[in-house]
Amino acid sequence: MTKSQPQNKFLPWLDVLAIASWGVLMLKYWVTGKLNLLIHPNFFGLVFVCGIALIVIAFLKAKELWQRRRREITPNVQHVNFFAPGWGSSLLLISAILGIIITPQVFASDKALQRGVTELTNSRVQPQAFRASTRPEERSLVDWVRTLSVYPEPDGYTGQKVKVQGFVIHPPDMGKEYIFLARFVLTCCAADAYPVGLPVKLSESQERYTPDTWLEIEGKMVTETISGKRQLTIAASSLKKIPQPPNPYSY
Amino acid sequence: MNQLNNGFTIFLSLLVEAMPFLLLGVLFSSLLLFFVDERKLVEKMPQNPLLGALVGSMVGFLFPVCECGNVPVARRLLMQGVPTPVAVGFLLAAPTINPIVIWATWTAFRDQPEIVVLRVVFSLLIATIIGYVFSFQTDLQPIVQPAIARYLKFNPPPNPEQKRRGKSSTGKPAINTPNILRSGTYILGGRAGMTTRLDANQLPTSEPNLNTGKSKADKLRLVLDNSIQELRELGGVMILGSAIAAAIQVLAPRDLILSLGAGPITSILVMLVLAAVVSICSTVDSFFALSFASTFSSGSLLAFLVFGPMIDIKSVGLMLSMFKPKTIFYLFALAGQLTFLFTLFINLHVI
Repeated sequence: MTKSQPQNKFLPWLDVLAIASWGVLMLKYWVTGKLNLLIHPNFFGLVFVCGIALIVIAFLKAKELWQRRRREITPNVQHVNFFAPGWGSSLLLISAILGIIITPQVFASDKALQRGVTELTNSRVQPQAFRASTRPEERSLVDWVRTLSVYPEPDGYTGQKVKVQGFVIHPPDMGKEYIFLARFVLTCCAADAYPVGLPVKLSESQERYTPDTWLEIEGKMVTETISGKRQLTIAASSLKKIPQPPNPYSY
Repeated sequence: MNQLNNGFTIFLSLLVEAMPFLLLGVLFSSLLLFFVDERKLVEKMPQNPLLGALVGSMVGFLFPVCECGNVPVARRLLMQGVPTPVAVGFLLAAPTINPIVIWATWTAFRDQPEIVVLRVVFSLLIATIIGYVFSFQTDLQPIVQPAIARYLKFNPPPNPEQKRRGKSSTGKPAINTPNILRSGTYILGGRAGMTTRLDANQLPTSEPNLNTGKSKADKLRLVLDNSIQELRELGGVMILGSAIAAAIQVLAPRDLILSLGAGPITSILVMLVLAAVVSICSTVDSFFALSFASTFSSGSLLAFLVFGPMIDIKSVGLMLSMFKPKTIFYLFALAGQLTFLFTLFINLHVI
């Protein structure tokens, strides 16, 4: 017991610190707009409320500890069955501090390639509704892929106008005259981000931009056979370099 | 470096997404454990084994505890004379059949609602089946720990465990520390109006009812302390789990994952093993599973989501306070086999 006395003074404060740091981290993401990079916008409110709640909890506990500091400190009973005392809080604290220091990164082409180019023309999310009036050139890249996954015949779209934005990927098995234009889709959080996209056929005069460059591409839909597979392809008439959008993901 | 940052981003996104649900689960369970009258619940349990197992499985809706909290509750239910199928059904289903877990699963798998529905249905089915199987064991003596068997047989004074464990319980002063200053989960209205500590490390013990007449502020302090304790413990496990998920996503060779994840049988086996190894809390395990959603078959994700909350390395120690090792082995083996069969059916015939 004597050995654990100093710990008993320290550990509750470690808890307070750990919980408060997570509250701060979540509010920091909320304030700086970095939540975009981590989770689906549906859950922003949840994160905000949780951040506030964590800080309130930490505050209440701190207040209690402060008021009790002169009285005899009662042993803080640990019901640890997995961690030694203090481990859980330390892990929470360390991860929160790392989160505050390191800025999360937008996924780029390397991640898309790792996830597999074969998936690029498959959307896991089916379109919920069709609007017959949607003009083809108003479809986003993700809209195109979703439409294609419902009616997968490339020839059905031949000749339709396209205007889409995305970043450049160079899949290794694709010829020099093609690039892939892709976007990441989040359904819940960055852990399930998956890339979707369409191949773009470049005319000879067009520059083959380096990977991760964000482009706005205009052109027409054609059907091409790329690495042995018939695919809906954008025949680009203009490629315009654009800055990375503030919210790079689609949902 | 890029890989590292990608991994870190995934890790953080899992945590940021899961934290509200963890907090909610922790607060909800801390609050509800005070307000649900367990004794009245026990009186209403049906005696019919099949119905009992089903009802026991669904009682989880009233106790939004994850797998760390369900063992002590199940043990108490058993000791209060609830039929075995009810207790076993509760033990297996409670971590999944609860509103917060279902909501978290829905959040994670919005685009695959069948996973949410099947997770609930399979958990209910498996818990009910196993509960029913256990109803054939009318004599509890061979399956429960001798202490509980004795307790049930002679119904000795409410505190047999504490005497037996005595000093081994880390020398905590049991009587002279006021109840309010000790953290932990408590249940009001237990046997003969006792307040019982739902302690994960200790066998739940009945204590003199120091809670009567306690002010609201004191009760709230108990809720606060318990919440902090659970946040700390479960948060730690959640961080490890998220780190593992992020590491697998970034480091494991894609070919390996794809070949394992696509096979109808291998994918299930891999996820069953992962469920047992990772032992992540059920309120947040759907986010863990989510990171495998693009590569693993739906059946195998279900296997993880159904089997994970039932088996938990952390809680084996707790279960040993209730059942004999042989019983726990049977429970896990049955649960594993049933999960395997159900999810294999999904893999082969449905999706």
